[in-house]
Amino acid sequence: MTVNLTDRMKAWIEAMGCHLCVATPEGVPFVVLGRYAEVTGNGEVAFALAQDEAKVIAPVLSENSRVAFGVSRQGGIRAAYQFKGTGELLRSGSVFDTIAAQAKEEKGIDAESVLLVRLTELYCTKPGYEAGQRLDGMTPEELDAWERQRWKDVPRKRD
Amino acid sequence: MVKFTKEMKEALRVPGKGGSLIYLCTSSRDGNPNIAAMRFVATHMDDKILIADMFLLKTKANIKENPEVAVTICHPLDEGRWWVFKGKAVDMEYGFPRDFDWYGANATDILNEWGNWNKAEPPDEVPPDIVFPKAVQRGVVVVHVEEAYSIEPGHVGEKVLTG
Repeated sequence: MTVNLTDRMKAWIEAMGCHLCVATPEGVPFVVLGRYAEVTGNGEVAFALAQDEAKVIAPVLSENSRVAFGVSRQGGIRAAYQFKGTGELLRSGSVFDTIAAQAKEEKGIDAESVLLVRLTELYCTKPGYEAGQRLDGMTPEELDAWERQRWKDVPRKRD
Repeated sequence: MVKFTKEMKEALRVPGKGGSLIYLCTSSRDGNPNIAAMRFVATHMDDKILIADMFLLKTKANIKENPEVAVTICHPLDEGRWWVFKGKAVDMEYGFPRDFDWYGANATDILNEWGNWNKAEPPDEVPPDIVFPKAVQRGVVVVHVEEAYSIEPGHVGEKVLTG
């Protein structure tokens, strides 16, 4: 099932980047930053990773492809969502070429690889009674309406 | 045993006191990762991170079956707070044996000091469209930190604390 993202979610992800969490098959978590992020398709998000960033998560992803991420910086509170899916590290191909070029141009990142996350789950993490509410069963229209009732702010893209 | 730096202790406080919003990363025992932002954070001794157990769901379930966690700064990052702390966590809930010990942290001490966190450090800085209507605290997550690595661009993965 495709996980829909609203335009506001896309804006926060792309403006702030994300904290990416992976775990070994035995349950030991690791975190790196996905400083350059782009929503590449319906339910897919690509992150440009420098060599040292990829080095931390590549051994883990090779054994367990599950990824969870949240929006970095103010997005941790203003975009109160957790995104989950499966990740694939790309080192060649059209997606890699496109994302790597954009990451270099916009943020000066020398991408060694691109983490492509295919989303499978979406949760609200707003503290309170809605914490943990699963949102990926909503249609795009329902999700958009749900979010508009709560928040409308969209950040400026960072340098 | 690790020892937090002064900068780390200053960062690992509630945002309203100059601290940080943090991400607490957990995993199920079979490796399903989870990441959730937390506002109520503090340090205890030189190697413990405390986080309020409020609204925890999957995080709580994960810690109950797997103590391995990672804590990292979500915001602000631009003040040099590029750290990921790794260690073992327990959720000291009300009703825990008062003499329960987690790597030197005593349940009575923790719950006496941090058991009513919302009153001690109310979330005055949290925007009205985000702040929760009523805080219900069930305990305190205590993270015994064993190492930390950097996520600063260009230095990712370098150890910044080792046991």
